[in-house]
Amino acid sequence: MPSTALIFQSLILGILLGGLYALLAAGLTLYFGIMRVVMIAHSAFLILAAYLAWHFHARLGLDPLLSMLVTVPLFFGAGVATQRLLLARLRPATLTMMSVLLTFAIALVIEGLLGYVFTGTQRRIRLDYGAASLEFFGARIAVVKLIAFGMAAVALLGLYLLMKHTRFGWALRATIQHGDAARLIGIDTERVAGYGFGLGLATAAVGGTALSLDSTIYPSLHWHWIGPLMAIIVVGGLGSVPGAAIAAMTLGLAQSLLQLPLGATWAQTIFYIALFATLAVRPQGFFGGRLAQRF
Amino acid sequence: MRSDSEQLPSGQLGRLLRVGAVGVGAALLLSFPAMAPNPYYLSAGIVVLSYAVLATSWNFVGGLTGYISLGHGALAGLGGYGTALLVTKAGLPSFVALFGAALLVALLAIPLGFAALRVRGASFVIVSIALVLILLLVFQSWASLTGGSRGLVVLRPFPGLLRPEHHRVFFFLYAALLAAALIAWWLIDRSRFGLGLKAIREDEDKAEALGTPTLSYKLIVFVVSAAFTGLGGGLYALWFGDLDPVFQFSILTGAYMVLMALLGGVRHLFGPLLGALIVGVGLEYFKVEYGSTPLHLVGSGLLLGVVVMFMPDGVIPAVSHAVRRLRGAADSSIREVTAAELAEQRRPAEPEEARR
Repeated sequence: MPSTALIFQSLILGILLGGLYALLAAGLTLYFGIMRVVMIAHSAFLILAAYLAWHFHARLGLDPLLSMLVTVPLFFGAGVATQRLLLARLRPATLTMMSVLLTFAIALVIEGLLGYVFTGTQRRIRLDYGAASLEFFGARIAVVKLIAFGMAAVALLGLYLLMKHTRFGWALRATIQHGDAARLIGIDTERVAGYGFGLGLATAAVGGTALSLDSTIYPSLHWHWIGPLMAIIVVGGLGSVPGAAIAAMTLGLAQSLLQLPLGATWAQTIFYIALFATLAVRPQGFFGGRLAQRF
Repeated sequence: MRSDSEQLPSGQLGRLLRVGAVGVGAALLLSFPAMAPNPYYLSAGIVVLSYAVLATSWNFVGGLTGYISLGHGALAGLGGYGTALLVTKAGLPSFVALFGAALLVALLAIPLGFAALRVRGASFVIVSIALVLILLLVFQSWASLTGGSRGLVVLRPFPGLLRPEHHRVFFFLYAALLAAALIAWWLIDRSRFGLGLKAIREDEDKAEALGTPTLSYKLIVFVVSAAFTGLGGGLYALWFGDLDPVFQFSILTGAYMVLMALLGGVRHLFGPLLGALIVGVGLEYFKVEYGSTPLHLVGSGLLLGVVVMFMPDGVIPAVSHAVRRLRGAADSSIREVTAAELAEQRRPAEPEEARR
């Protein structure tokens, strides 16, 4: 039986990890809400952002956090372009299936290009404050993990405020809730959908920078992220942002705690077990609303 | 309007041509081992054939029901590992192990299909990808059983044969498996069962409302597809003789199956085979010319993207459509009529209707 201090430490690490999962799952949920698209390339963009942050630090000598000044607008634009130029042109009847394949293709291209440009070597950012840690009731928490969690929390809060308290947020939520009705009251749903995608991809830019702070990255790493993230959005109920956030926290905590008795590799299976159990017991997910019923 | 007596000969001629073309194709395929200049070409031919088997097996689900699975690579990997473990741990004869493993994969497909097929589209794809990722994790970590990343060596089924002879035997085994899969697909395609599956593909709600038992139909065809995929993977294990989880449970294998089937045309019997020929030969060529760079990912990704965006029905419909347009659109079964023409046609009929 591991000591109480160790469990407490895992608990905190689980919460910090869950925050990052929640931010990334929020992006995936946005895409799904807007046009029923499962965006496989989300985690590939995440790793791309991590590589750009690494590049900023290792080649240009700047703080990796500064890379967000470039990657967030860049990814926003890439998201808008992906939606308007690619996904919106697929046939509506087969959109769900074909969009998976299309975003899968984008993921392959990104992974291949990352491997070609940066080689398959594992990369890690070495920061002066990378080894620093805080004592917190006997648990040692690395400062970079706190920064990563803080970034995720701020981004999520920003997303929440944007969705609830701005005209654009209202338009976006109206588009998600009922596209036809939104068009009737004069919302340009196509443009809003494009911006929504940009917003989703911008979360990947923030998440990737956070990830790069304390993780070793390599081009095929995105497969290790897309599995858990997809499990999270199914467990949370496809299309539900609060559901995704709760599922992200729960599963992140579970993964972190299970690492103690099982080790890192087997602990990952919790996501897939939760996925299969959810589909067998409650296919619409645990917090899913009207949207999730038919998927 | 043409009379029946005029149409019949052209239909018979078409059928004769089609049977002839299949015969010529089969003859070309079977004579390949004799024509291959060296064993490398033969082994590349086997790789392409194994892709054709896998893509055709995938097409039972993808083509007939429209459910796109990205996880069929995992079923092939399970077939491969199942065969290998039954040979090495249980001491079964090679080909008994092959069919035993395929049976196990088919049995496993029942609960899997039940969890995945109860829900529509999006969740199905997510489950199929998750299947690959979880199996990769398990087979890498469970080193005491599977050998983990060190790999698992399978005894050859024909220890006396030299390598080129070994290739030749497996080429014909693969050809036989491909023929079996094609015949099974053809039979299902023509049956009432196949009609139900295609109804699911076109509109699942309507199919269900008309009394098609959608879940059991989807489940049955998923199990058939899994069995053929397992056989394909198992045959690969017996031929190649060395398994590594990274390649057996690669998400790429599943993606290649989808790419090949879509490129050829999922609604056509020979679509996946044609796609496998194009993509498989391309992949082998790329490997020889450029070695193993990550650029093959870029190439596959771009090709998949182009197919999805511009040719979602595949090469066969695209080409036959072009041919039809060159010959003039007279023999199209779906007539294209503008709304104005339709109104013109209806006009004389309507007053009569009104008078009644």
